[in-house]
Amino acid sequence: MLREKEKQKRVTEDKGFLYGLSQSFSIVIGYTPVAITFGILATQFGLTFWEAGLMSFFVFAGASQFIAIEMIHQGATPLMIGVTTLIVNIRHLLMSLSVVPFFPERTLPWSLGLAQGLTDETFVLNTNVLKDIDREENRRRVMLGINIGAFTTWVTFTIIGGLIGKWLPVQFSGFQFALLALFIILTASSLSKKNYMTYLLAALLAVAFKLLIPGKLYLIMSVVLAAGIGAWWRGRKAHQPGFDVPKSMP
Amino acid sequence: MSDQLLLTILLMTLVTYGSRVLPFLLFKGKNVQGFARDFIELVPIALLAALVVPELVTPAGTIVLIQNPYLWTGILTFLFSRFVPNLFLGIVFGMTMFWGLDRLLL
Repeated sequence: MLREKEKQKRVTEDKGFLYGLSQSFSIVIGYTPVAITFGILATQFGLTFWEAGLMSFFVFAGASQFIAIEMIHQGATPLMIGVTTLIVNIRHLLMSLSVVPFFPERTLPWSLGLAQGLTDETFVLNTNVLKDIDREENRRRVMLGINIGAFTTWVTFTIIGGLIGKWLPVQFSGFQFALLALFIILTASSLSKKNYMTYLLAALLAVAFKLLIPGKLYLIMSVVLAAGIGAWWRGRKAHQPGFDVPKSMP
Repeated sequence: MSDQLLLTILLMTLVTYGSRVLPFLLFKGKNVQGFARDFIELVPIALLAALVVPELVTPAGTIVLIQNPYLWTGILTFLFSRFVPNLFLGIVFGMTMFWGLDRLLL
């Protein structure tokens, strides 16, 4: 009886790698201009096009890559950039935690492979798509397709952007502001009632620490302090009776 | 490629892939809750503040408010992207504004 049902599902919903790949199209559209921008900026900030491509291939995490080239440009040490990357990308832990239940029977190669392609965008898409797919085997293949579509786009268009950047004139002073503009746009889209106090606190602390402490240490100090105080504040509010704090996913 | 850059990419890969793969390897049915979850959720916005605001307010090491193309471009770019939520257009807007204000205010 159960096996009969299983068989039926298999016939009607045998979605696999190619289905995932086709689903990744919206991410392809979204990643292309950002990857080209990253390639152009990386070469403007002193990397070669293949160094930019290599970073995209291994790291595959947009925001932290932009931050890294900004920090390289400002002369930060590899350790400093590594620690900053950790605090930027630790959020992948949350996303990974909430995707993992789709794959209770996963093997080691699947674990290593599926984890590689997890980004903010693939996470959102996978969560949406995977919940409608019944068999774990199919879910693995679909996620692989989505991830590979996004990953290939990111790496390919980083290299293309790098090649474009190589031929662009360096004199345009606007490029000094490109990364800041990117971060400001991200701020405008992620600032909300739930986090603006943390933002203001981090901004205040960062300016004060930057004026007081030499080097780039102010980045990590202000982020850890502000996020820590913000989280403590949220916890305090959550314990008040009658105060309903909605739980939201990243 | 310089050793510095190689080491940078290596460290970045280690911490990024690490946070992606650990739950796949270790997950046993628990989820992050409470303080740790709030903290991780608030890190990105705090980092955006720490990356941007000091660069806008103290571009040359001291606080400058009026004769400062960074600050004014920053404010305008923020307002622009609140109304036009497009990454590419926003960056082009920011770069053009900075180029213009940089010439105007010097």
